[in-house]
Amino acid sequence: MKRKKILRIAATLVIAGLLIGGGVGLYMFNMPQRDVQAAKADYTLTGSQIVEEYLAGREAANSKYLSNDGDSKILIVTGVVNKISDDFSGQKVVLLKSDGDKAGVSATFTPETSSKAADLQIGTTVSIKGVIRSGATYDNDLGLYENVVLEKCDIVTL
Amino acid sequence: MKKLVFLSAVLTMFTTMAVSAQVSGKLVSSKTQIKFFSSTPAEDIQAVNLTSVSTINRETGEVVFSVPMQGFEFEKALMQKHFNGEDFLNTQTYPKAKLTGKITNLDKIDFTKDGTYTATLEGEMTIKETTKAVKENGTVTVKGDLVEVQSKFNLTLADFGITFVKGKPSTNIAKAVEVSVLSQYLAE
Repeated sequence: MKRKKILRIAATLVIAGLLIGGGVGLYMFNMPQRDVQAAKADYTLTGSQIVEEYLAGREAANSKYLSNDGDSKILIVTGVVNKISDDFSGQKVVLLKSDGDKAGVSATFTPETSSKAADLQIGTTVSIKGVIRSGATYDNDLGLYENVVLEKCDIVTL
Repeated sequence: MKKLVFLSAVLTMFTTMAVSAQVSGKLVSSKTQIKFFSSTPAEDIQAVNLTSVSTINRETGEVVFSVPMQGFEFEKALMQKHFNGEDFLNTQTYPKAKLTGKITNLDKIDFTKDGTYTATLEGEMTIKETTKAVKENGTVTVKGDLVEVQSKFNLTLADFGITFVKGKPSTNIAKAVEVSVLSQYLAE
């Protein structure tokens, strides 16, 4: 009688363990992408500041802003709207760049936020929140300065 | 009179600058799309990157692509984490991939005339600091001021030191992935 009871408890524990383990596994496998806009920003700075920081020392900036699992730092960048364009997914891309800066900050919006980017005026100052994908650098092969790239962007009020 | 000479000198300088800018022949694209597709019986994996910058020099035929690796977007967060991680592409240490090459049949492409041309590119691809020679075909479409390039090729992951011997990645990621490139250029 006692042995049966122990067996029953053990079986229940094993099943519960399997269910929890399977559930965690399933959750991990189907884990949604991070919601950049809902997350707290790691740094708030101007476009010129981050461009300068990257041009002054790319490797130090990369280890500060890029994460090794790709969920890199979330930034709020303030700058002057220089150009608004579309990417191949129909998302708006806003370039923040001040006169005299060698590179700017390219901010790609999402299907949900792109309509807000479309309403921006060239020459106005705006604050944009997004995740950093790469930094600014002068590329010898391109013969160009590459911009800082942010994605999953939205306009924010500071 | 002196003023006039100065003015005409300045004017000449500006005209020369404008002309030389025109004949520099460089096309620049920041509207790009690079997709890769991996197919195994276990699962299909796809990722899209819209963040690359590319240039084509119409005079020399030189082509450059600079690809921010963290710009690859996957459907599932876990795939993206694996892709960026140290065992796979280690994107924190190697944030950019690069293609540099030359169009070998430049004489067959008329950038001044609307049309669709087949281009052959020979060059080098660098991923994760491993450089390999590449030779690919692409389509160049000229339409007014706009130039569009399309290309599709296979990339063997082991060529760039990306190998999996055990676990899920070894069964779920194909040994060769299909890469498709689309980019739209305007004169610099």
